[in-house]
Amino acid sequence: MLKNHSIVIFSFCERFVIFQGYDIPSEQRNGGIAVEHAIVKTISLKKQYKTGTQTVAALDGVDFEVKEREFVSIIGKSGCGKSTLLHMLGGLDKPDSGTVVVDGMNLSEMDEEELALFRRRKAGFVFQQYNLIPDLDVCDNITFPLKLDGVRPDEGLVGELLSSLHIADKAQMFPAMLSGGEQQRVAIARALAARPAIILADEPTGSLDTLASHDVIGLLKVMAKKYQQTLIVVTHDLDIAQMADRIVRLKDGKLWNGGGFYAGK
Amino acid sequence: MLANNNGAVIKKLAGNSVRANRRPFAVLIFAIALSAFMLFSVLTVGLSYLELSRLQDTRLHGSEHDAAVMNGFTEKQKEILSGNPSVRSVGVQAYCGHVIGTDADDTVNVAFLWGDRTFWEEQKAPARTGMRGRYPEAWNEVLAAKEVLEECGIGALGVGDCFSMTYEDNTGIHIEEFVISGIWDGYGGDKGNFYVSEEFYRQSGYELAADGILQLKFKGNYVPGWTIDRLEDSLELSRQQVFQPTDYIERSLTVLAAVLGLCFIICLSAYLLIYNILYMSVSGKIRYYGLLKSLGMTKRQLVLFLRRQMMAAAMGGIAAGVAVGALFSLSFVPYIMKVLGISLGDTGSDFHPEVLALSVSVTGAAVFCGIRMPVRMAADVTPVEAARYRKDAAMYDGDTGISRAGKRRKGGLCRRLAKEQLWKDKKRTAVVFLSLGASLIVFCCLTTVVVSQGKRTVYPNYWDADFILYNNTQTMEDISSLQQALDGKLISEVRETDGVAEVHAVKGVPVVFPYDAGGFSDCWIRGYAERKPYLSCTETVSDYEENPEKYYGMLKGIDEEEFDYLNTTLGNAVDKRDFLDGKTAVLQYAGFELADGLTDGTVRFSLGEEEQEIRIGAVNYGDYYGATVNAGANLIVSEKYLESLCTEPYVLSLNIRYEESYDEDTEKEIKNLVQRSKYSKDLHYISKYDEMKTIQDSQSGMLEAGMVTSVLLLLVGMLNYVNTMTVSMQSRKLTFSVMESVGMSGRQIKKLLIWEGLLYAGGSLLLTATAGMGITYLVFQSMNYMEIPFAVPVLPFLCAGLAVTVICAVIPVVTYKRTVKGRSIAERIREFEQGYFSSD
Repeated sequence: MLKNHSIVIFSFCERFVIFQGYDIPSEQRNGGIAVEHAIVKTISLKKQYKTGTQTVAALDGVDFEVKEREFVSIIGKSGCGKSTLLHMLGGLDKPDSGTVVVDGMNLSEMDEEELALFRRRKAGFVFQQYNLIPDLDVCDNITFPLKLDGVRPDEGLVGELLSSLHIADKAQMFPAMLSGGEQQRVAIARALAARPAIILADEPTGSLDTLASHDVIGLLKVMAKKYQQTLIVVTHDLDIAQMADRIVRLKDGKLWNGGGFYAGK
Repeated sequence: MLANNNGAVIKKLAGNSVRANRRPFAVLIFAIALSAFMLFSVLTVGLSYLELSRLQDTRLHGSEHDAAVMNGFTEKQKEILSGNPSVRSVGVQAYCGHVIGTDADDTVNVAFLWGDRTFWEEQKAPARTGMRGRYPEAWNEVLAAKEVLEECGIGALGVGDCFSMTYEDNTGIHIEEFVISGIWDGYGGDKGNFYVSEEFYRQSGYELAADGILQLKFKGNYVPGWTIDRLEDSLELSRQQVFQPTDYIERSLTVLAAVLGLCFIICLSAYLLIYNILYMSVSGKIRYYGLLKSLGMTKRQLVLFLRRQMMAAAMGGIAAGVAVGALFSLSFVPYIMKVLGISLGDTGSDFHPEVLALSVSVTGAAVFCGIRMPVRMAADVTPVEAARYRKDAAMYDGDTGISRAGKRRKGGLCRRLAKEQLWKDKKRTAVVFLSLGASLIVFCCLTTVVVSQGKRTVYPNYWDADFILYNNTQTMEDISSLQQALDGKLISEVRETDGVAEVHAVKGVPVVFPYDAGGFSDCWIRGYAERKPYLSCTETVSDYEENPEKYYGMLKGIDEEEFDYLNTTLGNAVDKRDFLDGKTAVLQYAGFELADGLTDGTVRFSLGEEEQEIRIGAVNYGDYYGATVNAGANLIVSEKYLESLCTEPYVLSLNIRYEESYDEDTEKEIKNLVQRSKYSKDLHYISKYDEMKTIQDSQSGMLEAGMVTSVLLLLVGMLNYVNTMTVSMQSRKLTFSVMESVGMSGRQIKKLLIWEGLLYAGGSLLLTATAGMGITYLVFQSMNYMEIPFAVPVLPFLCAGLAVTVICAVIPVVTYKRTVKGRSIAERIREFEQGYFSSD
């Protein structure tokens, strides 16, 4: 156990060294606004897409904050910009203008290589379509981000994830052999394996039935609490959204209810 | 029920579909055009290669024929050949004497040849490049090449000019005035001889049964070995007759098989290229086809709809490909070669209608085969399946490599993923390996064979010498003309030349064999006289008895190393000690056999006033030591023994070997020394380098044609690889996006793709280095008549290997970048998810 902890500590030290150049003072990194415990902050975030001859504003000046270890769900109609916002927070896309700060790092100023390191170490993504790597078995899929980093996976942690997510017996199987619910649980394990600061889930239950959906969100919530991670879930299912600490609603690329409302769970 | 023509709506749908999918259809048309272009070009260049091989053979032999019957023939044999249905023409050529000298030069080495009308007008014509005047008709007319006139010292003469010649035929030695009836130019060893009229031949005393040559040309250009064998058997040849097929006809079928093999590779590549593109195109539209079915389109209508589109693409593609191929093969290749100063000879690239027909039909067949599977895939899909269809997932279905993948965990992550990718689709990997490997193997074979052609076909000199320098004064009838033309100064300069490894001299001195009735000299002179039909044996023997010095022989001394080589060529080896001590000599064969008791007995000869005696240890049947014109015997003895009898023997020849065979600098230096020598007029040389160059020159554009074929094949292999990579990148687009989304950096993706490319290159190179080398060796040895050591041209191989490696490594990265098109990970993932579920 001690050995496993030392690997994790080493891994975190290494990340600190790599990111120290971006570890700016809190006042600056938050755009001059001092925010206590805010792990995610966006300022005037804008993003447009072109559809044929039309230009659609997916995000139109979004100012948004998420506190450390908070579980936030983002809801809204199709095309309101939920997934776009999540992609910005996860460093999968770049805004046209505005700032995205996650765990003290300004993603808007990072180049592609730095963003890859950010996604690998700081953010865990869960997709609607699971998006597992078909060439790798369950175990390899889960440990893939760690292996990309050249870090030896913490076998204890992987075992714990597998058993907590009830997929321990599927470790040597390939994605094509698993059901949708099982695949999504593997995707959750992958997102958690590198112990990232935030977990971002984009319609994680979109392809699952009601029972499996509640099971997956429940697991996500439990695991995020267990590992003290911030969880942001995009969904259009209000039942799922109700399970979050706070619900944020997006409409036409803008936040509808300001900082959102608390679900009171 | 009213008749309803649904063909119109299908036609309209197909037309609209093509218009709406201009880009994919342009790619498809391009692929078909490329295949047609490749096939047309390779076939045209391949056929040109074959024609150039034929041309090379024609130039080397001096006439276009497929086999020859040498050492005489009977009229019956000529009739058999003429009557054979597979024989097109039978020409006759015959030796009819040799020139002894002209007024301008008395050291000429020129023969008289006669050829019949078939030989001269049909078989010889392709080897001629120019002709002034006509073939001789009167007995005193000669037809000459510029070279033979120069050899006789009358290079300034032209058609109609007369000159005097001393010549010898089977009726004796004559001095006559000749008229030059024509001067020809072209190729062949016969440029050093005079052609004479039939009348001259009839008066020369020679007979076709003993000295004639029959040359036959088959009707076809590709004749199987058994046809040649059957023809040979039908002739019932006598022991002295030789039936000799040419290199070209012996390997014509092999060459044809090679060309067909190349066509097969092209067809396979074309099929794969078209299949891959169509598969990608169809699999990307499965949901669309499902929609058409859900709206009521039948399977038959869907097949018709798809075939209409494919056929339109095929027709356009084939027409474009053949047109570009024709332009490329017939205009561009000769143009580029001309610009580069490369000659394609008289052949060049010709238009072959059969190639056009073959290219069109084979590409059409490849398209037909290529569309079958994708069309079936589209037609068999149900509307429900189509709605659920997920391209990436479908491509991983039935992946038998899954269980293996889990087990292989050695190597870095990128390397492991790259390796697994190759294992995953074994069929595709095998096709790429085979395609690239086949191209490289053909490149290996052609390069090795073509580059070695000159050296491989050079007839080796005695003891494989690089340069043999002869003292030409030894060839004069008058013994008093013998001079020390190879003087000590020249010999020491040759020895000191950079690049010369060994110099061995044959020294000689005239000796007289006193007449010995019933003994060696008696038998020798009888044998000699019998070979000259114009000499009376009795008179010659009687003359010999009275004037033995007129029939002098030569004592030829050789050094120890040269003896060691000679001894290995003798039927019965001679004791070295006895030879070196001067107790044993080797008798040089002179065209007639002596009784057994004489060839192992003791011989008496006199040198100056003293008479010597030596035992004959063996007979040498090689001709290197028989270069002198003396009537008496040539005895080969040790140099030491010769020098003990005569302090200053004549140096008759120098056998020179270079440190490196075919070394141009050494060759040049030796030739300079020969030219600068005051006896240069009396020196004659045979150079291995010159012979190799002559063969290379006669090859014309064979090397270039071979290279163009190889490069085209490499291009086909590369295109197949590019196509495979494009398909692979398309099908793995999502996987890469997912990998990036979980933190794989651009550099790591690049590393993974480069590894994948390197593995493809490595596999292909391994295939080439193993199976390819084996095939190359077999091909090389099957054509290696001169037993030169097998050597691969390292530089072209390294360049090809390096080029393949670099291209293989670069293509996946470039293809990936083109697939990604600079879009963000989110956009790429969204694109995929929107194809399946609606998402914002």
